[in-house]
Amino acid sequence: MPGWDEILSGMVRGLQLILSGDPGVIQITLLSLRVSGGATLLGALVGISLGALLSLADFRGRTFVVALVNTMTGLPPVVVGLVLYLLLSSSGLLGFLKLLYTPEAMVVAQLIMVIPIVASITLSAISSVDQETKQAVRSLGASPFRELLIILNEARVGLLTSVVVGFGSAISEVGAIMMVGGNLLGHTRALTTAVVLLTNQGEFAQAIALGMVLLALGFSVNVLLMFLRGELFSGTLPYLTARRSGPK
Amino acid sequence: METKKLVLAAAATMLVLLAALAVTLPGRPRLVIATTTSTVDSGLLDFLKPYFDDRFHADITWLYLGTGQALAVASRGDADVLLVHDRAREDAFVRSGNGTHRVTVMYNDFVVVGPELDEAGVADAPDAADAFNRIATAGESGRSVFVSRGDGSGTNALELRIWSKAGVDPKERAWYLEAGQGMAPTIRIADEKLGYTVSDRATWLKLKSEMEDSLRLAVLYEGAPDLMNPYGLIQLNQTRYPNTNWQLAEKFILFMVSEEGQELIAEFEVGGEQLFFPVFGRTESVGLPPEAQEVQYWIQRLRDNNMNPPRL
Repeated sequence: MPGWDEILSGMVRGLQLILSGDPGVIQITLLSLRVSGGATLLGALVGISLGALLSLADFRGRTFVVALVNTMTGLPPVVVGLVLYLLLSSSGLLGFLKLLYTPEAMVVAQLIMVIPIVASITLSAISSVDQETKQAVRSLGASPFRELLIILNEARVGLLTSVVVGFGSAISEVGAIMMVGGNLLGHTRALTTAVVLLTNQGEFAQAIALGMVLLALGFSVNVLLMFLRGELFSGTLPYLTARRSGPK
Repeated sequence: METKKLVLAAAATMLVLLAALAVTLPGRPRLVIATTTSTVDSGLLDFLKPYFDDRFHADITWLYLGTGQALAVASRGDADVLLVHDRAREDAFVRSGNGTHRVTVMYNDFVVVGPELDEAGVADAPDAADAFNRIATAGESGRSVFVSRGDGSGTNALELRIWSKAGVDPKERAWYLEAGQGMAPTIRIADEKLGYTVSDRATWLKLKSEMEDSLRLAVLYEGAPDLMNPYGLIQLNQTRYPNTNWQLAEKFILFMVSEEGQELIAEFEVGGEQLFFPVFGRTESVGLPPEAQEVQYWIQRLRDNNMNPPRL
C-alpha cells in the first residue's frame, strides 16, 4: 500500500532525524515547548484562580460568567489568531507593543485558549468535592484562605488534569500561532506550523518526524499526569501499591 | 515524603519554563521578507540566506504568503521588504505611496501541468488562451478538472488573466476547483484529482524532485510569452512605515541586484535545473518592459555602498 509505505518510511526517517539530534528539529521542539509551556503555566495560574473564584464565590451573574467560560473552551484558534493579528499588527491598536511575529505573541494567543479550558475543568473539579467536606472544613473554623487550600487540595486531581488538557490543546494548536507568529524560520516556527509547511512542500518524512515529536510530547505529559495522580493518591495505581507493599 | 519531592519537582519545572519564557536570546537584526510561496517552496531563500546573513550580519526570515496577502501584510507595516510576482499590483502598491522603489530582479516561467493522458489535449495548443479553452471544453463534458490557487496570489492573477483572454468565466463551473492554498499543495490536489493547474516552474520542479514518481502529473504546455513570470523587489515607504527595518531591507535589495546576488540566483539549481534567471538591468532582453530609471537608481545605490553592479 503506497500510503502506508510513505508513513512507515517517514517514521523511520523521522526516528533517524530525532535520534541524530537534528538541530532544526531540536530548535523547533524547544520553541514549541517554550510557547506552549509558557501559555500553560500562565493559563494555569489565571485559569485555576478563575475556576476557584467561580465555584466558591457567590455573586450576581455568576451563571452567565460560567456559561461564558464554558463556551470559550471551544474558541476557534483561527479566530483568536485573526483578531490578535489585527490588534498586534503595526497599524493595529496594540501595534506599539511590537509583539507581532514573536514567541510572546504566540504565548498570548495560546493563553487565551488555555485559560477557559483550565478554568472550566477546575470549576467542575471543585464543584465535585462533596458538600460534606466543604461543610466540615467550614465548621472547623479555618480561615478562608486555609479553607480554600483544603478544598483545592481535595480537587487536586482535577486541577492537574486541567493543566494537562490545557497543555495538550496548546501544543497541538496551529491556526492562531500561524497567524500571529508568522511561522518564521528560527523565530516562530513551532512543531505544528512546521508540519503544515513541510506537508505543503511535499517533504513528508520531515513532517512525520515532527509529528512524532508532537505525539511523544503529548504522551510524556499524560504519563507524568498518571504518575503524579498515582503518587498523590498514595498508590491507587496497582503497580505503585505493589511496590509499596513489597519487602524492603 | 514522596509527594513533597514531586511537588518540588513540579515547582522546579514550572520555574524553568518561566525562565525559558523570559529569556529572549539577543540575536542578529532580523529582516522579514513578505514573499510568494514559490521563492520559499523552491528553496531559493533557504539557499540565499547564509550568504546574505554572513555578509550583513543579519538574520533574514520570511512570511510564506501569496502575492496578494504579501502586499496586504506589507501595506499594514508588518513586513520589511517585498519579493513578489504580480506586476500590475506591484505597480499599484508603489503608486499608492506604500512603496518607494520597485525593480525586476529575476524571472522564471509558468507551466501548465496536467495528467499525462492529456484528455483536454493542451499539449499542441497554439497559445496559452487556447490551451485553457481546451481545458474548459473538456471540463464541460466532464473529462477534466482545473485546480486554481484561488488565493489571490500572483499565480492566481496570471491564471485569471489567461481565462479572460480565452473568453471563459470559470468561476462556479463544476470542473473549476479553487484550492485557496499555496502552489505546492495546489499541485498535489490537482495530482489527486488528475486535473490541470498552472504552476511556476520552480515550485513544480522542486515538488517533482521531492515526490518523484508519486506525482503523476507532467508539464503539458510551456514556453508561451504570456507565461513569463518576473519577480519584483519592492522597497517600502520609510516615512509611512517607520517601524520597519528599512536599512536592512535596502541591503537586501542591493544584495539581490548586485553582481554577487545575481550570480547566486543563477547558481541555484534543483535536480540539476536552474530555477530562476537573474534579469536586473536587462529586462528588455527577455521581452519585459524596460525600467531604466529604477536600474540607474539601484546601480547608483550599489556604488554608494561599495557593492558591484552586475555586468550588463
